[in-house]
Amino acid sequence: MSAVVLALDTATEQIALALGVFEGEGEAEALRVLATRDVLAPREALSSTLPLLREIFDESGLTAAQIDSVVVGRGPGSFTGVRIGVSIAKGIAHGLGVPLFGVGTLDAIAWGIAMQHEQPLVVGIIGDAMRGEVYPALFEISPDAVRRRAPDTVGAPTAIAMEWAGSSEPLLLAGNGLRKYADIFVSAAADGVLSIAEERFWAPSGEGLLRAFAAARLSGETGDGDPVTLLPIYTRLSDAEENEQRLAGTTSATVPSSGVSDREGGQR
Amino acid sequence: MSIRIRSFVHADLDAALAIEDASFPRPWTRGMFAQDLERDDRMWLAADCDGVVQGYAGAVYHAAEAHVLNLAVAPDSRCRGLGTILLSELLDVLRARDVHAVTLEVREGNAAAIALYESAGFHAVGHRPGYYAETGESALVMWSDELDSPGAEARLDALAAKARDALKRLSSESDTTSGSGAGEEPLVLGIETSCDETAAAVMIGGSTLLSSVVASQVDFHARFGGVVPEIASRKHTEAVVPVVEEAMQRASENAGRAIGFSDLDAIAVTYGPGLVGALVVGLAYAKGLSFATGVPLVGVNHLEGHIFAAALDDPTVAPPLIALVVSGGHTSLVHVPEWGVYRTLGATLDDAAGEAFDKVAKVLGLGYPGGPVISRLAAEGDATAIDFPRAMLHSGDYRFSLSGLKTAVINHIRREREAGHEIDLPDLAASFQAAVIDVQVAKAVRAAEEYSVRSFVLAGGVAANPALRAALTEALGRNGVKVTVPGFELCTDNAAMIAAAGTFRFLSGERLPLTADAVPDLKLDAD
Repeated sequence: MSAVVLALDTATEQIALALGVFEGEGEAEALRVLATRDVLAPREALSSTLPLLREIFDESGLTAAQIDSVVVGRGPGSFTGVRIGVSIAKGIAHGLGVPLFGVGTLDAIAWGIAMQHEQPLVVGIIGDAMRGEVYPALFEISPDAVRRRAPDTVGAPTAIAMEWAGSSEPLLLAGNGLRKYADIFVSAAADGVLSIAEERFWAPSGEGLLRAFAAARLSGETGDGDPVTLLPIYTRLSDAEENEQRLAGTTSATVPSSGVSDREGGQR
Repeated sequence: MSIRIRSFVHADLDAALAIEDASFPRPWTRGMFAQDLERDDRMWLAADCDGVVQGYAGAVYHAAEAHVLNLAVAPDSRCRGLGTILLSELLDVLRARDVHAVTLEVREGNAAAIALYESAGFHAVGHRPGYYAETGESALVMWSDELDSPGAEARLDALAAKARDALKRLSSESDTTSGSGAGEEPLVLGIETSCDETAAAVMIGGSTLLSSVVASQVDFHARFGGVVPEIASRKHTEAVVPVVEEAMQRASENAGRAIGFSDLDAIAVTYGPGLVGALVVGLAYAKGLSFATGVPLVGVNHLEGHIFAAALDDPTVAPPLIALVVSGGHTSLVHVPEWGVYRTLGATLDDAAGEAFDKVAKVLGLGYPGGPVISRLAAEGDATAIDFPRAMLHSGDYRFSLSGLKTAVINHIRREREAGHEIDLPDLAASFQAAVIDVQVAKAVRAAEEYSVRSFVLAGGVAANPALRAALTEALGRNGVKVTVPGFELCTDNAAMIAAAGTFRFLSGERLPLTADAVPDLKLDAD
């Protein structure tokens, strides 16, 4: 039994692609990576992803029809970027009639780091959420496991830095939010607690996506595979709806899965 | 082959029952047909193709009204105009018997049939939920226009012309039974996400619509008084797969055969102009679909789609023509010397016409979208009550400007309120609308003259405005120019028009590379 998986993520400035094959059953199941591309290509997700996909298929000698499932990074990240990746993945899965699964973009980043570290470690990923905010997420990693501490959210970098500074455990930071906010986290932390990962680990990689998906398969957390219901992780509403809620004093902590509030929720 | 529409007789029953079984979940029985044929308040016609019955239609009539009981075409013969021929003939015969209005029920999912009835002047007046017990589907109740009204006569003439064309086409075919008619013409899936409608349609040969599905987001934008781009993009992401899936399923049902992605000859997708965040969702999905299936991708300009909608509605529409595309996002006057060649004569310098209606409605607290409510109010008002500016009326070119008018209306409202006057909404709406229409009509007339065209197309969502339609038809008609306005479903954003324009582009050999980006300000005119 083997299953070919195509993985892609365009939620950050990096286009991450991979083809892998799962071989064996259950506990003995092993992932073999066939081909990957991790290309920094700001604002080029729509124009560059398909040509790069063609490259990894050519390199692996596979055709699209041989894919058994598609995996996509659901963000959080750039709203447009994550929608491009999710929509391409929907088109491929729908066209082939195969399941579409999602993994968190920040989880894929954490897996990319876990693959390179011998020792257990706590990793803090700071994704750039624009508008002065970040997507923070803490993971406990070891070479073959990644455990997420809390669901995806969005917040001000200073507030997140203060919260994380309260712990004395060593913390390795990564993520594209560091480009703007590294100083805030460094100055908030106690001496010697914080370190920052090499920049090449700040974005998701094709292999990281596959590892995150492999872990989700093992724990049975892949979702139903329906390309209709798979949606991006936004963490916040559109500006228009946020302003509306602010004015109405009804700011809610949760965002519906569609990313759009119920139509009755607003006021005329 | 020889095609004849004649009376349905008992000897046709076997052939009819086979078509009936292949067409409906609850087919008529032999007994039902036999009983019906005996009655003298019934009218039954059969389409006889080389001696074989390939379709039939029946109606009951009483006094001035008739009810279409049945209309069916053999699966192999569908989508080739036989339904149009039967309907045209049936309406003619009923009219000759002094019938003034006709009603019918049609399955809500049967886009091809609904499109046919709409082209004959039928419009939906209600739903019968769960009417078809076998499938639980609802029926759409449709009524025709008053058959003797001028509008209906024009529609019926157009339908008859379409029927004659189909008859000519079918008569020139040598083989009828192989069902190869559809295979010769490209099967195209159209996808449209440029603004706030997620739409998909499947079409044969650029004109025969198998399905057209539109998921409107208007309810999610209404309370903001306009389209919120981020909400539009999110809703497209949510809707694109189910909308395409439904279009494919309905296409299979209407074609009477399973249609999968591998049967498609092309995937046509709007890549501009429009909201960039919305466009990328449809384009990214279409690229993924094309990559996975190997079906070629064709890019369509949204405005070209609007112009093609007119030809979809009335196949006799042909260049050279002038098109006025007016919607919430566009106001463009375009010269079309031949299909595929466009010269934009002028466009709005600021607000689109639909946008102006929306903004005025918003100031007046009338809700969104503004077009329908303002046009309703205007019908009861005095268009000369307030003298609003006609911007660029004498500019000597084909450009428009609507933001000044919008400001004038807003200032008028403010002045009146400050003076403690009550605002006469109908007069205000009529005066505002007249100011918009006057400029559009003046430029349209001048363009038709300058380019010596006899055909004019009004397209886009604002084409639903009855006063604009009437004014253009009247002014251009005086100069012998025929104005075509597609039905409402084809005026507002839809994917049928994208499939139609996409088929034309596909047959011209155009393909969209996988590297293509969305182009929010895509121009119609070639460089």
